[in-house]
Amino acid sequence: MKKIEILRINSLNRAPLIVEGYLFEGSNPDAPTVAVVGAMEGKTILPLYTASKLVDFLKNSMSDSQNILGNILVIPSINHYALNINERFWPLDKTNLNTMFPGYAEGETTQRIAKRLFDAISGYTHGIILENREDLSTCFPYVRLFQSGYEDIENSKKFGYKIVHHKELRPTDTVSLQYNWQLWGTKAYSIMCPNETQIDMNGSHEVLEGIISFLSKNKIIKYKVLNGYESTVITKEDIEIVKTPKSGIFIPTKQIGSHVIKDETIGKIIHAIEGEVIHKIVAPSNGVIACHYKNGLIFENAVSFRIIKSG
Amino acid sequence: MQITEIFSSQLPVGETLSIKRNRYEPTQKQENLKRISIVSGTHGDELEGQYVIYLLSSWLNKNQSHINGIIDLYPAVNALGIDSITRGFPLYEVDLNRAFPGGKEEYLPGQIVYALAQDVKGSDIAIDIHSSNIFLREIPQIRINKEFSAFTLPHAKELNCDFIWIHDAVTVLEATFSHTLNEMGTKTLVVEMGVGMRLTKEYGVQLLNGILNLMKKEGIIVTDEEFEAREPFLSEVGEVFYLNAPTSGLFVPELSHCAIISKDEKIGTIVNPLDGAILETIYAPSGGILFTLREYPIVYEGSLLVRIFGNNDEKN
Ligand SMILES: [Zn+2]
Repeated sequence: MKKIEILRINSLNRAPLIVEGYLFEGSNPDAPTVAVVGAMEGKTILPLYTASKLVDFLKNSMSDSQNILGNILVIPSINHYALNINERFWPLDKTNLNTMFPGYAEGETTQRIAKRLFDAISGYTHGIILENREDLSTCFPYVRLFQSGYEDIENSKKFGYKIVHHKELRPTDTVSLQYNWQLWGTKAYSIMCPNETQIDMNGSHEVLEGIISFLSKNKIIKYKVLNGYESTVITKEDIEIVKTPKSGIFIPTKQIGSHVIKDETIGKIIHAIEGEVIHKIVAPSNGVIACHYKNGLIFENAVSFRIIKSG
Repeated sequence: MQITEIFSSQLPVGETLSIKRNRYEPTQKQENLKRISIVSGTHGDELEGQYVIYLLSSWLNKNQSHINGIIDLYPAVNALGIDSITRGFPLYEVDLNRAFPGGKEEYLPGQIVYALAQDVKGSDIAIDIHSSNIFLREIPQIRINKEFSAFTLPHAKELNCDFIWIHDAVTVLEATFSHTLNEMGTKTLVVEMGVGMRLTKEYGVQLLNGILNLMKKEGIIVTDEEFEAREPFLSEVGEVFYLNAPTSGLFVPELSHCAIISKDEKIGTIVNPLDGAILETIYAPSGGILFTLREYPIVYEGSLLVRIFGNNDEKN
């Protein structure tokens, strides 16, 4: 394993931001390669935790380093500055790194960071990006693939997560890492992580297990894994959005991953001042809860649950 | 004067969010009136538009008899952001000017921009007033997407601004107010002027004159009063030079904003207060007009310091 400096940004009042990657060189030059990008934003823990545990796994759990077949580069954190002060984006100008790709060497600070990162991760066969949903909801882990014309749906099933969300491309997605990585010839996958602020010993390993499974099934590592799910590919049409007509205190009463039946109560809204239940949220169809809103206070007409329809 | 709510939402704890519009129209109802919409406050840290719209509404209050069209004012699109010094939509941290066209079924920021776009739709002209951000100070200028320039440039010239910047089409900017409204057939102009979190009174007066001039030319107001429309520089006749900080530190400008400068003139220094070191001295890469100047002194490598509009000869 080699530790390599990906980029360095000086600061007037903080210690320099030094982004490092961990390069595990493969024993087989013909094997596919992979780069894994961890936390690009702060205020959440799973992208960071998963990437750092992957470094630990590759360093300490592979009995024989010969079993690493293809080159693996893991960059656990890009945005230490945000993580350390619980900011979400770049702390000075609040720009989102994941809207700066492919980057620009002569541009703004975050465009420069994006450019140096992009240079370091170019040329890999596969690219894995650990992300969070942008809309304050939490979900079970899944793969998000843009309908860009470059995506590899079959391979994205090898993570063994419950779903692969094949999502239509919006104008703002054209500056994301996934889209640009695809455009430059790497098979990129965004893994949407549960939007947690603490590690939960029961669920937090799931993302990592999926990545190990992916590495093994693509013959990047030689490692025996248990099979995950046979992923279902879903699009917009498969998702039932459940909104709450009332704002107030939001209490989900069904967990993510639960099967629900039509008209079953899955959550409630409490009047924020008077405490009474002002709305019961019911499942509009049979299905599985994929996401729910994660804050205690919810806006009017906000999405409280996303259900993947079944039956 | 008729104030309406174009969007409202009951917030979780004892408060209603409401986005308001004020409409001015002739006292006598008429058919086929031209309509102009003036929008500001999409970014919660930009307040110059609030002052311009105040000047405009107070002019209209005094000149009701000169109104010959429909004038819609939307001073505070991101109402929650403005009152909390938050550029994006609070909580979601989303830039409302990257959330268009939005939709009724989307999250709250998407619902708000959708309501705005639907309400402005059908206007002949829309003006979206921005004031840069807290980091940069801008001279009054119009930003125009090349895709729509044939359609919007003639109006831009009437707005009494100093500079018209015609830029290339970028996919990510399709999510802006101006792109959405231009696509819907409303001639939409983006004004950038001043700086975030502050008012620049002379710019407010300058743009007020421009808006009144445009409205007079379009017959939306009828008056003998003369309004100034200065001749703007067009980006097409020259080139925009960007200068980003080569290193991180405290930027101390040497020049004043909007100065005419010559090549290699000293723009400022980047220093370290701790040890008194001058880390970099910054010189102009081209002569021309310094139309953007760093206002917030803390810089990182890459932070924009100045933009200069120089002519092509200067470059060669
Ligand atoms: Zn703005």
